[in-house]
Amino acid sequence: MSFIELKNVCKQYANTNKKAVTDFNLKINENEFIAFVGPSGCGKSTTLRMIAGFEEITSGELYIDGKKMNEVAPRDRGISMVFQNYALYPHMTVEKNIGYGLKNMKVPAEEIKKKVDWAIDILGLEEYRKRKPKNLSGGQRQRVALGRAIVKDQKVFLMDEPLSNLDAKLRVSMRNEISKLHRNLGSTTIYVTHDQVEAMTMADRIVIMKDGVVQQVGEPMELYEHPVNKFVAGFIGSPQMNFFEVEVEDRQIVFSDGNRMQITEEMAKKLSPYKKKVILGIRGEDIKFDPQNLDVFKDNKMCAVVDNIEIMGNENNLYFNFGGNTAIARVSKYEVCHVGDKVEFVFVPHRMHFFDCKTEEVIPV
Amino acid sequence: MLTKKQKHFNIILAVVMIAMSLFFLFPVIWMLANSFKTDAAITSDMNSLAAFVPPALSGKFLDNYITILTNTNFIRYMLNTLFYAAVLILLGIIVNGLAGYALAKINFPFKERWLLIIMLLMIVPMETIITIHFLFIAKLGLLNNVIGYVLPMIVNPFNIFLFRQVFVSLPDDVYEAAQLDFCSPVKYFFTMVLPMSKSVVATVSVFTFLNVWNDYLWPSLVFTSSDLLTAQIGLNAITSNDNTTMGQTLAVITLVTIPVIIIYALFSKQIVEGVVSTGSKEG
Repeated sequence: MSFIELKNVCKQYANTNKKAVTDFNLKINENEFIAFVGPSGCGKSTTLRMIAGFEEITSGELYIDGKKMNEVAPRDRGISMVFQNYALYPHMTVEKNIGYGLKNMKVPAEEIKKKVDWAIDILGLEEYRKRKPKNLSGGQRQRVALGRAIVKDQKVFLMDEPLSNLDAKLRVSMRNEISKLHRNLGSTTIYVTHDQVEAMTMADRIVIMKDGVVQQVGEPMELYEHPVNKFVAGFIGSPQMNFFEVEVEDRQIVFSDGNRMQITEEMAKKLSPYKKKVILGIRGEDIKFDPQNLDVFKDNKMCAVVDNIEIMGNENNLYFNFGGNTAIARVSKYEVCHVGDKVEFVFVPHRMHFFDCKTEEVIPV
Repeated sequence: MLTKKQKHFNIILAVVMIAMSLFFLFPVIWMLANSFKTDAAITSDMNSLAAFVPPALSGKFLDNYITILTNTNFIRYMLNTLFYAAVLILLGIIVNGLAGYALAKINFPFKERWLLIIMLLMIVPMETIITIHFLFIAKLGLLNNVIGYVLPMIVNPFNIFLFRQVFVSLPDDVYEAAQLDFCSPVKYFFTMVLPMSKSVVATVSVFTFLNVWNDYLWPSLVFTSSDLLTAQIGLNAITSNDNTTMGQTLAVITLVTIPVIIIYALFSKQIVEGVVSTGSKEG
């Protein structure tokens, strides 16, 4: 049996007609690192808070370690939590912050000291142990919050956007620290973030949410390669997937600006029930400019003028107007071109995704 | 950078502020200087600047103070008042603090209306309800009793409002973190909420102390036993006595004033912080 299970969990706040979370179903295995990801207001934090016990579950069931937890107080659910704003006790020193829970659990003083020392050691907080939170940087505060969570030996870690207040560089290093910590401690972790990069780099599985509804659950690459709908396809990946409204005519795709592209007969057959109009999605790295690919897919060569170039260092993002949209292509740093250049490119056919115009669900081709 | 106009304005402002400070300090300086003098010296210096200068140090310099402290119960009255103040500060923080916390953080029916009622109570002067308090305490048989004195003074709408305004800005996630750290709500209030709101606790403590220290009407109604009297009533009793000299009167007034000045000097920063935070941190 899974370690945490949510069955048809719903959340509806008083005086509202709309559900904040609708029929959330998920099984989480022991030691798994799960990320809830989605835009602001999608219900990911609400779901986490329902698991923590800070929000009442309107309907549905929550099980942790086989026990129903709907009516159980947060402290008795066997969880630790790291909060977005750290939630440190401002009048306590680092070591008191970390040891406070253990003290309340009536753990013997010697053991508290041992555990606090261990946490301080692995989080690199030795020189700050006597400092109060106001005298710590954001990263140090976040490490104290982590320390407070790990010393209690709880089976489940909940993390609510723990890195969102940190600068980009610190976020990367803390990401690494949290991943290492998870590997070493082996605890089941639920991590909420709006940053898909965090979710992709850290999680074993990702839950993507929109408007309180789970869109897709899967491993990072599964979501990246096989999104079930346009929302998931657009949310995962940076830069986001390019979308074009196209028409299917026989074995051709016609873009709104008149450009055409050949597709296989099998593909055309699968797209035929969609009354011609579909959404084509293609990731930036699957738009090819190199001679080899241009040669392989020479029947589908298309042209556009480079509108803008973002130099990322290891690669470049090319912006160009095509198919009635601004498209972004990721190219190698060695593929040099300039703004205003007319470039030839191809879409790698087997890397294209198609979505229903109405439902935005993926069309398997 | 300050412009020339601003610099001139600041100079004028400083001069005005110094003049106003001296204006308010004159009576205090006069009181202090004359509290060391005999009545004859006070009368002779009355119409000159010498009225603001204490006498030269001599064996009789502290006579007025020694007489007050040895021949009257004034030390007792001061200690009584300090005790009442300590009890009321403690109970006031607990009761008003808990009420403020409930209004700030706990959801219950008609919460906003309760807050409105409490705010309306702030505009009711104590004098208008003191008769009711008196009758109530008398019926309970608590006249001439410390409990009878303390009971009606514990709840203070202004202090509830101050606490509420500060507590409303405390982050909820700290409470949630404390819950996961096995901290009970009561323990959370005493070990987290109050220490995190030091400035308002200091403000309420100072206000309560000053209320108790300066209160005359309520203790004069409740207490008749001289063992229980407060400093202000003691002051009145001593100064009304025909045998008390003018110098002794000024000495006893000085003694009553000193704690107030010390409290203001020590806690002025916290008082300002506390009051300011109640206005600016509304979440």
